[in-house]
Amino acid sequence: MPAILLDHVLHRYGDTVALRDLSLTVEEGEVFSLLGHNGAGKTTTVRIVNGLLAPAAGSVLVFGRSPLTEGAVVRRRTAVLTESPTLDDRLTARETLRAFAAMYDVPRAEARSRTDALLAEFGIAERADDRVGGLSRGMKQRLSLARALVHDPDLLFLDEPTAGLDPVATQQLHETVRQLARTRGRTVVLCTHNLVEAQALSDRVAVLGGGALLALGTPAELARRITPRLEVMIEIDPTRHADAVALIAALDGLTVSSDRIGVLRVGGIPRERVPDIAARLVTGGIGLYRLEPHEPSLTDAYFALQDGGKGAP
Amino acid sequence: MNRRIIGAIVRKDLRVVRRSRALMTPLIVLPVLLMIVFPTVFTFLPRIVGGARAAFAEMFRNLPDPVKQQFGEFTEATWIRVVHTQMLAPLMLLVPFMVANVIAADGFAGERERKTLEPLLYTPATDAELFFAKLLAAWIPAVMIAFGGALIYAVLVNVTAWPVMHRVFFPDLTWTVMVLWMSPAFAALGLAGMLLVSLRVRGMQEATQLGGLFVLPVIALVVGEVRGAILLGPFMAVLIGLLVWGIAAALLAFGVRRFRRTTLVGKL
Repeated sequence: MPAILLDHVLHRYGDTVALRDLSLTVEEGEVFSLLGHNGAGKTTTVRIVNGLLAPAAGSVLVFGRSPLTEGAVVRRRTAVLTESPTLDDRLTARETLRAFAAMYDVPRAEARSRTDALLAEFGIAERADDRVGGLSRGMKQRLSLARALVHDPDLLFLDEPTAGLDPVATQQLHETVRQLARTRGRTVVLCTHNLVEAQALSDRVAVLGGGALLALGTPAELARRITPRLEVMIEIDPTRHADAVALIAALDGLTVSSDRIGVLRVGGIPRERVPDIAARLVTGGIGLYRLEPHEPSLTDAYFALQDGGKGAP
Repeated sequence: MNRRIIGAIVRKDLRVVRRSRALMTPLIVLPVLLMIVFPTVFTFLPRIVGGARAAFAEMFRNLPDPVKQQFGEFTEATWIRVVHTQMLAPLMLLVPFMVANVIAADGFAGERERKTLEPLLYTPATDAELFFAKLLAAWIPAVMIAFGGALIYAVLVNVTAWPVMHRVFFPDLTWTVMVLWMSPAFAALGLAGMLLVSLRVRGMQEATQLGGLFVLPVIALVVGEVRGAILLGPFMAVLIGLLVWGIAAALLAFGVRRFRRTTLVGKL
């Protein structure tokens, strides 16, 4: 059973369409990223999946249940880390976790031990009895994540989880996400602008633009599908630089540039033509020292999609 | 309804209120003023301020006949009874009203303003549980402060008036009905009013300004009582209490239909 099933979901805020005909499936145990600019529909999707918004059309199922009619049951299995740490400054870190453990109906004894464990795991134990208002932004973000995990959710939504975190805390959060998904089988949905993070963590990504699904697949699939041509860095015998440039420039559809003698950057190469270029250089008597294809990244794909999606409905 | 979830939200809200100086100041000052300072000052006034006795005698003479007949000739003892059972009694209703009003403003509009409402909406608490928890978080302390304050008031009045009364004369039946029946009703009215306002506004300041308008029935009661337009006896206290309970219940029933996650999230 999929963790999330969205089927032709439409949502409007007044006259503005926030989600248009969005259909996607998130499998259990998957790390899934929702990518998109501000206003792309990421937060709206999270709210609909958690029963905070009712879609104007389409259907939503979370672990086979409707968040609209069985919201409490669904939310017992989900957790949301909102973009800004929405913590009450007047509570202590420990009180925050215990209060939310009770709200998620975690048994008392378990809530106590889980709270202590999370405070230790996220490095807040020493400040556990300090008011949240006195904690640093990074600590607040870690506390927010601890709060989201206090009931051991099956499905975790992380909205810009590393915004404001230092590199160490970011790495720790990435490790937590990997551990949750790989070793504990939890489903994680990342809503992010951070494409490097999405590429590093996600099994699959969905790119949203203007409330519509622009693309869906693994980061590598998307990158290849959206930007099928490679850029290749070629290091050759510097004395044959001009010959190499002339040879490659004569080939259809390729662009050649160079920052220094002996190193060429060739763009627009279809993947299947890379061996051919290498063969031509070698048969032309040009010493080939190194040939390094630059794989298109999720970032390349994202910007290609968003540029193409500007006019999308 | 899951009582544990409701209890957790109530405890969290009360803890947050307790730690806010801005909220605690009115919650302490108003009860102290109305339930300790006023009764003490008004009991002693004829003895400590020259001319006060004559002024009060004049005020007593101007009271409507039914009130005067109820208390007989003007003496210092009469004055004490008039002040505590008639004039100051309705003022006491301001306490549960204001306490509920202030806490409800923080619980609804304040929580939205601090952006702490969203995580609550993501919990498994149903809309009804959230609503009920927010109501209890405002109503329970309001009623407790009203009852506690009333007890202090009663003791204080008997002690300070002892040299004149020479007996435990207070509370009378009307006052007891006001405390036990009317003050919970006014607390309910205060929070119901604030709930309705909070569903429409975004900020705490706006909510407290508009929500305060619901204090007008209490003011009307005080003025009516002082001017003799309303003669508050036990029966009348029960009737007014019933009316206020009815209004509060209607407002709450109206509010509960609008208290939906899907509505609240639109104001985040």
